[in-house]
Amino acid sequence: EFCSSLAGIMLLEVFLVLGTAIIIIIFFPSKKKEETLPFKEGWWGKGRKPDTEEDTTVRPFKVETTEEELSDLFRRLDQARFTEPLENSCFHYGTNSVYLRKVVSYWKNQFNWKKQVEVLNKYPQFKTKIQGIDIHFVHVKPPRLPEGQSAKPLLMVHGWPGSFYEFYKIIPLLTDPASHGLGDKHVFEVICPSIPGYGFSEAPHKKDFNSVSAASVFYELMLRLGFNEFYAQGGDCGWLICTNLAQIAPNHVKGLHLNLALVMNVGFTHLLSVLLGRYLPGLFGFQDEDVKRMFPFLEKGLYKILLESGYAHIQATKPDTVGCGLNDSPVGLAAYILEKFSTWTDLEFRSLEDGGIERKFNLDDLLTNIMIYWVSGCMVSSMRFYKENLQKGIGTQKHEKLTVQVPTGIASFPNEIMHTPQAWAQKKYTNIVSFHFMPRGGHFAALEEPELLAEDIMQFVEKVEKEQLWRKK
Amino acid sequence: LQDLHQRLDQARFAPPLEGAAFHYGFNSIYLQKVVAYWRNEFDWRKQVEVLNKYPHFKTTIEGIDIHFIHVKPSYVPHGRAVQPLLMVHGWPGSFYEFYKIIPLLTEPAGHGLNEGDVVFEVICPSIPGYGFSEAPRQKGFDSIATARIFHKLMNRLGFKEYYLQGGDWGSRITTNMAQMLPQSVKGLHLNLVFISRQGLRRMISVMLGAYVPWLVGLTKEDVKRSYPFIQKNIYTLLQESGYLHIQATKPDTAGCGLNDSPVGLAAYILEKFSTWTDKSFLHRDDGGLESKYSLEELLTNVMIYWVTSSIVSSMRYYKENISKDPTLSFDARVGVHVPTGIAAFPQEIVHAPRVWAKDVYKNIITYTYMPSGGHFAAFEE
Repeated sequence: EFCSSLAGIMLLEVFLVLGTAIIIIIFFPSKKKEETLPFKEGWWGKGRKPDTEEDTTVRPFKVETTEEELSDLFRRLDQARFTEPLENSCFHYGTNSVYLRKVVSYWKNQFNWKKQVEVLNKYPQFKTKIQGIDIHFVHVKPPRLPEGQSAKPLLMVHGWPGSFYEFYKIIPLLTDPASHGLGDKHVFEVICPSIPGYGFSEAPHKKDFNSVSAASVFYELMLRLGFNEFYAQGGDCGWLICTNLAQIAPNHVKGLHLNLALVMNVGFTHLLSVLLGRYLPGLFGFQDEDVKRMFPFLEKGLYKILLESGYAHIQATKPDTVGCGLNDSPVGLAAYILEKFSTWTDLEFRSLEDGGIERKFNLDDLLTNIMIYWVSGCMVSSMRFYKENLQKGIGTQKHEKLTVQVPTGIASFPNEIMHTPQAWAQKKYTNIVSFHFMPRGGHFAALEEPELLAEDIMQFVEKVEKEQLWRKK
Repeated sequence: LQDLHQRLDQARFAPPLEGAAFHYGFNSIYLQKVVAYWRNEFDWRKQVEVLNKYPHFKTTIEGIDIHFIHVKPSYVPHGRAVQPLLMVHGWPGSFYEFYKIIPLLTEPAGHGLNEGDVVFEVICPSIPGYGFSEAPRQKGFDSIATARIFHKLMNRLGFKEYYLQGGDWGSRITTNMAQMLPQSVKGLHLNLVFISRQGLRRMISVMLGAYVPWLVGLTKEDVKRSYPFIQKNIYTLLQESGYLHIQATKPDTAGCGLNDSPVGLAAYILEKFSTWTDKSFLHRDDGGLESKYSLEELLTNVMIYWVTSSIVSSMRYYKENISKDPTLSFDARVGVHVPTGIAAFPQEIVHAPRVWAKDVYKNIITYTYMPSGGHFAAFEE
């Protein structure tokens, strides 16, 4: 009798706890209102903002190089000091210096920067002053348009440690799809700006230039170029900036395409789904592929983040310190950047002595990207972007709490650093039109798998255009 | 020297943000002043003579060359035995950090220190991978391996019982030495205590400590130094541990540029000498460095890393010691029973109250709240 009443009490307690939990989950979901994110005014130039009107002209720009620049670089490469790696360490301790020596040798003896400058200049580039700083961008119009069609403007934003150059392989697939077997239903004119502080865009001189600032600047850019409606595409920092852009100007962004979509607002349901998702995937909206990529969670989630986020931690706290040596030693800069092109393309590459980098990229492309950081001296300012975005913590800022109602397409690449299941992404992106598990590829999708990415962008735009989804917001 | 000067001459600097002081890391405007001094006034040949004023030695242990200085007192008071004292440096320091304290320990009477007429002979080794000690070539060289090597060193020098002193990595290494061979350790003195997470009990103690500190064994000074807890322990740690995170995961990447750019190396190392000496130095355009140290001595330490090319191997030490789950390592579960003395400096990165130190150090003989000073105690105070 005593036992049964005890059991009864325990059962009652269990029901009470469960009931409370269910009530909390149902009636108090995290409130995400559908408000727009305010446009962020700013002035990032040196010293005080002048009283005169800002110069809004768009000037053509060409990348240039000098003999002095090249001889300075070669001198530094010649005098580079390397440290022997530990035996059998491959890429587990970071970039392997034995492989790095080979890269430096190629850089000195075979890489042709003058030729690469011509490659960079094959697409028209421009600069224009916005909010006090010079914004660099590439603007490629389609070589031909089918009768009666107009080019769709597409803004593509790079990330760190990438640059506008990452898009050079995908641009022709989007501006001239017919010549690449992608049909001619949708033809784009592509705008690839450099984030302020990256490459040939001037670095902000004032504190607090974060992703919302970048989104506001790019919004002004698109308006200045005469685009009232456009598509936006991004990964890495580009993901965040384009998301903010869709939040600031939902009536101007026809569609948002992402190859990365991280969860910033981690809540109780996320925790629960991590604990139980492996066993009850259906309950949490996980598909088989989600489970495959996410579990075991400690290994594929938590430990992986800890192992791979050291750079983000130091850049978010002491960018000027860590960037200093990288702006002075091209070899150090190359080691730092190449490590990401290895590990973020495929984590297994850490176990390879050469980091597997040349399996997916060629050295000319990788070194061209590195040279953009070197000749512009932008490593430090590029790192400051992490501090400006992360210093208040993750999930604390206003834009992280607001949703996105713009039609969204997500291309989920298997070797991306963190996998976000659609079930989690749709809490933020409330209007997901397409979500595809890509068959292969990692973080630098545009450079590594341009055809796959272009195809996904095409099918996404097809869906948006066919159903005129942007009008239904 | 020519190579160094050429690199200093060709240094490329990125201007700091307006009003950044040291909040974004080492301020490059002040860095240019440091580099100008380094290039034009710093006399490395003279500093080499300064370094050589104490006797240096090398000996091979477990396959690598171990560097150390060994300073004997020139005068031993009548009837007093000389106590051997092993002092271990940390990162980004070196054996050079002890140069000012050595005379106070080998010749206390000459410096007005007459406590108990204790006289030391001091041995300061360089941790393998740091300075003039050879770097290990194999993976897995951690503080326990270091502790074992230093015991062998003392043994080889003919010492059966000795005192140990350490801060930073030196604290962990000397603690491991005391855990490994307590019969050889007469006493352990630390100026930094690593506090291991104790889980729920510690959390409760922290929460109660804000209101009824005496109930959980915290003193007024403990409260002053530890609270507001989240601010001083969690935020500060997160703000200041970026270097630790990247060094514990990708040391070869992090150190590559620093081994090639002396200016980058100086910025990286001197940032610690600023922030870890006094947290308020973050607000100063010059990082407050010259208010506590001379550029000459700061750069001598940096030069040790530069001329030995040891920055990468010094960083690997973090990966070897931190990668493993800290709660599983034996040294987290073995207590320290040798007599222990703790000097708690007010500007140390994180404060360790006596009551928490007791979890590991079972035999604390002295625990002193030092009136001033930060992380580089031997150098600064």
